[in-house]
Amino acid sequence: MGTYAIEASGLTKDFEKGRRTIWQRLRGEADRRETFRAVDGVDLQVREGEVFGILGPNGAGKTTTMRMLATLLEPTSGTATVLGHDLVTESRAIRRRLGAVLSGERSVYWKLTARENLEYFAALYHVPPQQTRERIVEILEAVHLTDRADDYVEKFSTGMRQRLVLARALLPAPSLLLLDEPTVGLDPQAARDLRERVLQLRDEGRTVLLTTHYMEEADQLCDRIAIVDHGQIVALDTPDGLKRSLRATEVVRIEISAPDAAEARLVRRFDGRGTITRQERVDGALHLTVHCSSARDLVPLVIDAARLEDGEVRNIQVQPISLEDVFISLTGRALRE
Amino acid sequence: MSPRLADLRGDVRAFAAASLKELRILRRYPGTILSFVFWPIALPLAFVFQAQAFSGGRADTAAAFAERTGTHDVAGFLFVGWATYMWLSLILWGPGTSLRTEQVRGSLEAIFLTPASRLVVLFGPAISQLIWAIWIFVVVGIALWVGFGVAIGPVEALRALGVILVGVPALYAIGALFAAVVLRFGQVNALVQGVRGLFTAVCGMSFPILVLPDWAQVVALSLPPTYLIADLREVLLIGTGIGRIVGDLVVLAGMGLVLGILAVVAFRRTEQYARRGGRLAQY
Repeated sequence: MGTYAIEASGLTKDFEKGRRTIWQRLRGEADRRETFRAVDGVDLQVREGEVFGILGPNGAGKTTTMRMLATLLEPTSGTATVLGHDLVTESRAIRRRLGAVLSGERSVYWKLTARENLEYFAALYHVPPQQTRERIVEILEAVHLTDRADDYVEKFSTGMRQRLVLARALLPAPSLLLLDEPTVGLDPQAARDLRERVLQLRDEGRTVLLTTHYMEEADQLCDRIAIVDHGQIVALDTPDGLKRSLRATEVVRIEISAPDAAEARLVRRFDGRGTITRQERVDGALHLTVHCSSARDLVPLVIDAARLEDGEVRNIQVQPISLEDVFISLTGRALRE
Repeated sequence: MSPRLADLRGDVRAFAAASLKELRILRRYPGTILSFVFWPIALPLAFVFQAQAFSGGRADTAAAFAERTGTHDVAGFLFVGWATYMWLSLILWGPGTSLRTEQVRGSLEAIFLTPASRLVVLFGPAISQLIWAIWIFVVVGIALWVGFGVAIGPVEALRALGVILVGVPALYAIGALFAAVVLRFGQVNALVQGVRGLFTAVCGMSFPILVLPDWAQVVALSLPPTYLIADLREVLLIGTGIGRIVGDLVVLAGMGLVLGILAVVAFRRTEQYARRGGRLAQY
């Protein structure tokens, strides 16, 4: 087993809800604000050289976890080492070898050129002056911005600015890259380019920790994925391992018009050939989602059952099991809910 | 090289880069620079006309003014006072506004992700404030020369630059204290307006502080702008040498040191607070 770029144990972050007014402070009133637990005892081990994904819906605690690991946010409790350094007491040492894309594409200086932006941040990252020029040239080349290097950033598209933000994160030649929702807001081509770049970074031997709520992105990029919900890791494995955990290979979505009274009998006719993960009536029609090992075997049974119960199959869709299905089975709700 | 020394060298370069970044951005807003041709002339000019109206052009009122200020040059007295006020306003707003802009844009987090000292972001823009000071005083110097025949020689200008350089740390430290407030409360407008009002009321922008009540003079003497304005008038209008105001300059430098330390401590504490509450990127 390789060494770990990140090891976190019981990482927890609480936020206070609401505000405590200056008047309350002056009067010395007790702080009665409720706390909200954004991250709840996360244990995480990210191996060196892997692309590790944190997948979850908005508000699941992904970004808070990333900000803690990036030293921007103090954990309420728990411990973590990043690149061998303690998260709290050795934060500056961590930042020397850490690249991060946490804020959006607006976080660059629009009245500076791309090169000037990188020159400024190269100095902040303590890149030796004799290496700065060459490193900026290499990085601009890597993110395909060489021909626009001396244009003001205000003239850039969203995708170009996002590439510049990635370029900034690469300035310290980081061993570890944290990417928080890196493709949000990008057009499909720009998102595809960025995903390719992430895979290149892994090939260069860097560790990448990324958050996303795009299951396809996680599936395509990540060696391992932690699925998070309500601040907790609910599953952690390779994408294939997570899908295998459902003991099914395909998901069948069925719409049947059938009398209400016949619903239970109808479902019983093919129950056992798969796991029903959704069963509800929408506009009078019965909607079912079934995880199964063979749609080829299940679909004829469904059609027969509908016919025998005076119903009619309106629609059937068969798809391979996805991470979305894994998420639904684990949390009972969809990623984008 | 020890890691500590390497960090220090890195921070010095980061500070230089922060200053260069500010100057580059400043250069790209030529309209703002040009607006500071108009105001350093228009604002004190209104007070010059007001003074002329109040004095009625009589010799006894002019003598009373000279007795209290040490100069007969009313225009010079007002122009220097208001030029300092305008520079002071820029400094008071400067670091807080700059930090707030970084916070809203998201670049504050990007800066805090680097190993550079937090003081770089706090004091990096100071150099551009110095450029503003020089610009405003050059405009005032030309206006006094062209409009009122008050010629300021190179020696006086150099002495004034020396006074400005001594005054920058104290004034900038006040601005940096406001920057710490920005990180804590998200906005600083009301506080800056209040402090600017206090400085206008007691620091002698348009009058000698001798005319203030005793208690107000004590307040004035505890504020850095009072020394800065008085000393600039001394070197520019009366021709006093640096040697004769060295006591004032020591006080000013001392205030700069104390306020600078206060600003650093306040900024560190508010950064810690922001780091606990996730407010670095909150607005």
